[in-house]
Amino acid sequence: MCGIAGYLSKRDDPEPIGRIMLEMLTSLARRGPDSAGMALFRTEPAHRDTCWIRVPEEGDPEAHERRILAGLATVSDVGAVERHRGLLRVELATSATPDEIRGAAERGSRDVEVVSLGKQIELVKQVGHPDDLEDSFSIEGFRGSHAIGHTRLSTESRVDLTHSQPFWARGVADLATVHNGHITNYHKLRRQYEQRGVRFFSENDSEVIGVYLADQLDRGLTLEDALAASLDDLDGSFSYLVASGDGMGYARDPFALKPLIIVETDDYVAVANEEMAIRAALGTGGVAHEPSGHVSHLWRRSDVTAPAAAA
Amino acid sequence: MAGTAAVTLTIDATDRPIRDINREIRAAIGDGASVTVEHPGARHSLGVALLTPGEVTFEGSVGYYCGGMNDGATVRVVGSAGWGLAEGMLSGTVVVDGNAGNGAAAAIRGGTIVVRGDCAARAGVSMKGGRLLVAGDVGYMTGFMMQKGYIAVAGNAGHALADSMYEGTVYVAGSVASLGNDTVVETATDEEQQMLEAAFAEYDLPTPGRFQRIVAGRKLWNFEKHELETWRAAL
Repeated sequence: MCGIAGYLSKRDDPEPIGRIMLEMLTSLARRGPDSAGMALFRTEPAHRDTCWIRVPEEGDPEAHERRILAGLATVSDVGAVERHRGLLRVELATSATPDEIRGAAERGSRDVEVVSLGKQIELVKQVGHPDDLEDSFSIEGFRGSHAIGHTRLSTESRVDLTHSQPFWARGVADLATVHNGHITNYHKLRRQYEQRGVRFFSENDSEVIGVYLADQLDRGLTLEDALAASLDDLDGSFSYLVASGDGMGYARDPFALKPLIIVETDDYVAVANEEMAIRAALGTGGVAHEPSGHVSHLWRRSDVTAPAAAA
Repeated sequence: MAGTAAVTLTIDATDRPIRDINREIRAAIGDGASVTVEHPGARHSLGVALLTPGEVTFEGSVGYYCGGMNDGATVRVVGSAGWGLAEGMLSGTVVVDGNAGNGAAAAIRGGTIVVRGDCAARAGVSMKGGRLLVAGDVGYMTGFMMQKGYIAVAGNAGHALADSMYEGTVYVAGSVASLGNDTVVETATDEEQQMLEAAFAEYDLPTPGRFQRIVAGRKLWNFEKHELETWRAAL
């Protein structure tokens, strides 16, 4: 099955999105406890980029870390460094492009992977039940504007950190996806992208969604249009969520095969496979509805947050 | 009603196993009491297999299969419902104040389901009797392969409406995004219009507009070699 959840605040002030996302994912864990993760977004962009990097499990972790940081130092000044379960969080003090940062961090080892990058996003994920996320990453107190999360039931590919979600849309700062379903034209799409030089890190079909969206944005589409185009370009069953620095959206396959429930109030938009997760985290406000098939939508913070003066 | 004890049992569903809650509901309505369930929390399989008449109210949203296999009870949901609302119902009434997810009224054989809001995809799939009244809109493939009974939609219908239906009737007062395979659109008679308006009034739904009627074209009932294209399109 897999569980997906999303939350977007319509308020200007930061909301406790870490706690909200933990509660939603804990409720959805019945749909698959193999791995769990979330992408949390700060309300305003920080001055510097933050990247999360997967460190190889094999070999000497300190040697891996030294090599990653030495690589990053060739393109940026490295700021604060934190070590979490399987992941390294690095703040970069000067600007570099996503491609430069990826190239610098991943150089020298096939098993190093930049799992997120941006001025707003913090992307954490791990193998195991969502209950363990707090122990690994101390995110319950994180406040921000919006978030998406995932709890996984593995059906097609192996259970490890690389195959966990969310997936960063590699190459695009502050863009991530979570997916419930099965992309049946994954192999065909992956082959096409690989022929163009895109590297895939997992055999998880969900990884291709971020690659696809990054490609559509690169072609000049808006994120709204990219979501709409994916309804026809992706085959199979999917309810997926996307989060960018400015918003959160969803896309749902033409047959509406995977559940997706939405609650929108004056204060927030909450989305999950099951309304239970929304009620567990946010109480009884708003009326839940489920969109039909072949539908996508994007809520942009710049559109839905009403400035206090205008309210 | 004379002789009926006006007893209402209130159940707080918080942290209680669904099976216990359903057992308590069944026992209470079996004894003639009404039941109010507080804090349903949109959990699944609430109020399934209620086999005696009686009134059950859920004070909030419910998850999947609420009212499934109902045979005689009157269930009200003061909120929205998830997938498979009242799936396989035999008789009774299920009323949802909010919206319903995919597959509302799937394969029901009788009774009435009322949704004051919208239904997502495949409402009334494989209906074998009974009626589904929807005050709002319905999604993709509503009435797919339905066999008996009727669906009445005051709002708009999504794509592939009533695809491959065998029998039964779908009434739509709003627009239809597209029709499913082997369907025929007809004007509803004045008698049908009055019957539907009375049904909507019975549940305090707004008076619907003028209905059109969608029924089976019956070309898929038997295989005809000269209608191969119809079959290709359907399959």
